[in-house]
Amino acid sequence: MIVYLTVGLLGLLALSIPVGIVLFLLGFGIDAFFSPFPLTKGLGNLVWSTSNNATLIAIPFFVLLGEILVRSGIATRTYAALDRWVSWLPGGLVHANIATATMFSATSGSSVATAATVATVAMPQAEKLGYDPKLFSGAIAAGGTLGIMIPPSINLIVYGFLTQTSIPRLFLAGLVPGIALALTFVVVTALLCALRPGLGGPRRVFPVSQMLRALYELIPIILLFTVIIGSIYKGWATPTEAAAVGVAGAVAIAAIFGGISLSMFGEAILGTVKISSMIMLVVIGASFLNFTLASAGIGRELQEFLNSLGLSPLGFILVIVLVYIVLGFFIETLSLMVVTIPIVVPLVVEQGYDPIWFGILMIVLIEMALITPPVGLNLYVVQGARRGGDMSEVMLGTIPYILAMLAMVAALIAFPQIALYLPEVLQ
Amino acid sequence: MAQTMLFALRRLNRLIALLVGVLLMACVGFVLLDIVLRQLGSSLGGTDEISGYVMAIATAWGMSFTLIELGHVRIDVLRSRGGSRGRAFLDLVAMLSLAMTVALIAIRGWPVLARSLANSSRANTPLETPLALVQAPWLAGWVWFALVSWLTFLAALALVARKDFAASESAIGTFGELDALK
Repeated sequence: MIVYLTVGLLGLLALSIPVGIVLFLLGFGIDAFFSPFPLTKGLGNLVWSTSNNATLIAIPFFVLLGEILVRSGIATRTYAALDRWVSWLPGGLVHANIATATMFSATSGSSVATAATVATVAMPQAEKLGYDPKLFSGAIAAGGTLGIMIPPSINLIVYGFLTQTSIPRLFLAGLVPGIALALTFVVVTALLCALRPGLGGPRRVFPVSQMLRALYELIPIILLFTVIIGSIYKGWATPTEAAAVGVAGAVAIAAIFGGISLSMFGEAILGTVKISSMIMLVVIGASFLNFTLASAGIGRELQEFLNSLGLSPLGFILVIVLVYIVLGFFIETLSLMVVTIPIVVPLVVEQGYDPIWFGILMIVLIEMALITPPVGLNLYVVQGARRGGDMSEVMLGTIPYILAMLAMVAALIAFPQIALYLPEVLQ
Repeated sequence: MAQTMLFALRRLNRLIALLVGVLLMACVGFVLLDIVLRQLGSSLGGTDEISGYVMAIATAWGMSFTLIELGHVRIDVLRSRGGSRGRAFLDLVAMLSLAMTVALIAIRGWPVLARSLANSSRANTPLETPLALVQAPWLAGWVWFALVSWLTFLAALALVARKDFAASESAIGTFGELDALK
């Protein structure tokens, strides 16, 4: 069954069949070849009970929240404001790229829209001020990946839903590694640019009055994130309710700072429906595959497979990490997560690892997949927003950040507490 | 003919997607109202249940918009290396497997609704929602998705048969998210 799954999965994906449908097809195959009972009879019920779920409605809400913030020009203003605050560091504007991309892909369901927004505002500045394009564009691509780790994260909602782990705990677990990774990016950039100033561009110090005025633009956004995350942990709101509050907050911010219009809102809604349905087809397919795998008794077979490998738990995790890095060259983000969760997570838990911790480790690996060629969506997004220049420049620029991510993977394996401390303390 | 139909489907699904958005916004409003009322000591009750129904219905009806906008993710590592004929062939295979799977979901969805109708089932919640009331629009969404998938497949097949690869690609190809930005 494991061989069937692996070959079937890669084969069908290579045929470019939509990822959600591939998961259904694999489920049908399990039903036909490995299950003593007919499982597809339950298909209708399964699709109904998967999508009739109040937790999942947080997905369209968070997507809409991000779409409104990005499309109303709030992201652009934030970039300008952050520039005032961080450009004194060696590397200058590169830090604003990281910070803005981190903040906005944190909520926007489409890291494309975020990266595109940042890239469109940032690139002309880079040319004007004479930045080296490599590190500059690499920072946007890499910063844009952080959003799936820092809560609210749609990927973590999907992980929690499919593995039956607590979403608030996952959010808490992602907070420290996410911020640590963002800070690592900043430190790496500053170090590189301090050693070789040619990689960055001019450092600029702004007068305090300008910094304070910039703060005024940042406050609503920071407040919005605090309210969303805070209300979940204070127990005032479920993740779903917090997402609804976030949407209302985003509309309010957009209205106050201008930039809200009916056509903008229509575009935001269309974008939301498109992205959420894409996510849901994959999620429903994965729950169906999960269901068929469990019914056909994959657990026992996986256990035997593991025993036959004779790996220690550490050796096992290292193999898993390697598999994700390799798969990450070709598949990315949600697809990579969702197609592997039904197979990999039970194995990992069987080895005695915490599913919350593994969720975070998986997110770092998925982030890496977003910026590793040949298939790394964020690379193309940033390249698409540039005017001219070679794609390889963006790829070179991401290398320091990929190394930082690898360091984070090692740190998470060596010190699981990085992820698990907050959820344990705050429970 | 094929082109006209694809164009009509696109317009129609855009409209449906906007309606789905209105439904989602209404749900946002409802949840907010409940949070405020809870602070004042009362509650509408059942927001979770209703959000669930909204999600099921919104998901079902949003699917065909995503299809028409080429939003359902496909891995095109191999596909992008093929010629226009190879790509058209893979697109048709992908579209056909999607159309068949979705049709099966719609068919298997019928017993879910039929049982609720036959037993006049109500949700096991304080609201006691008649399930058929929410399952009917849910199933209708999947039936619509199945219909749109088959129509799109047939239209694309007609285009490929005429060797109009460019038109078929814009109907069922993959679309880099980059194109969406232009």
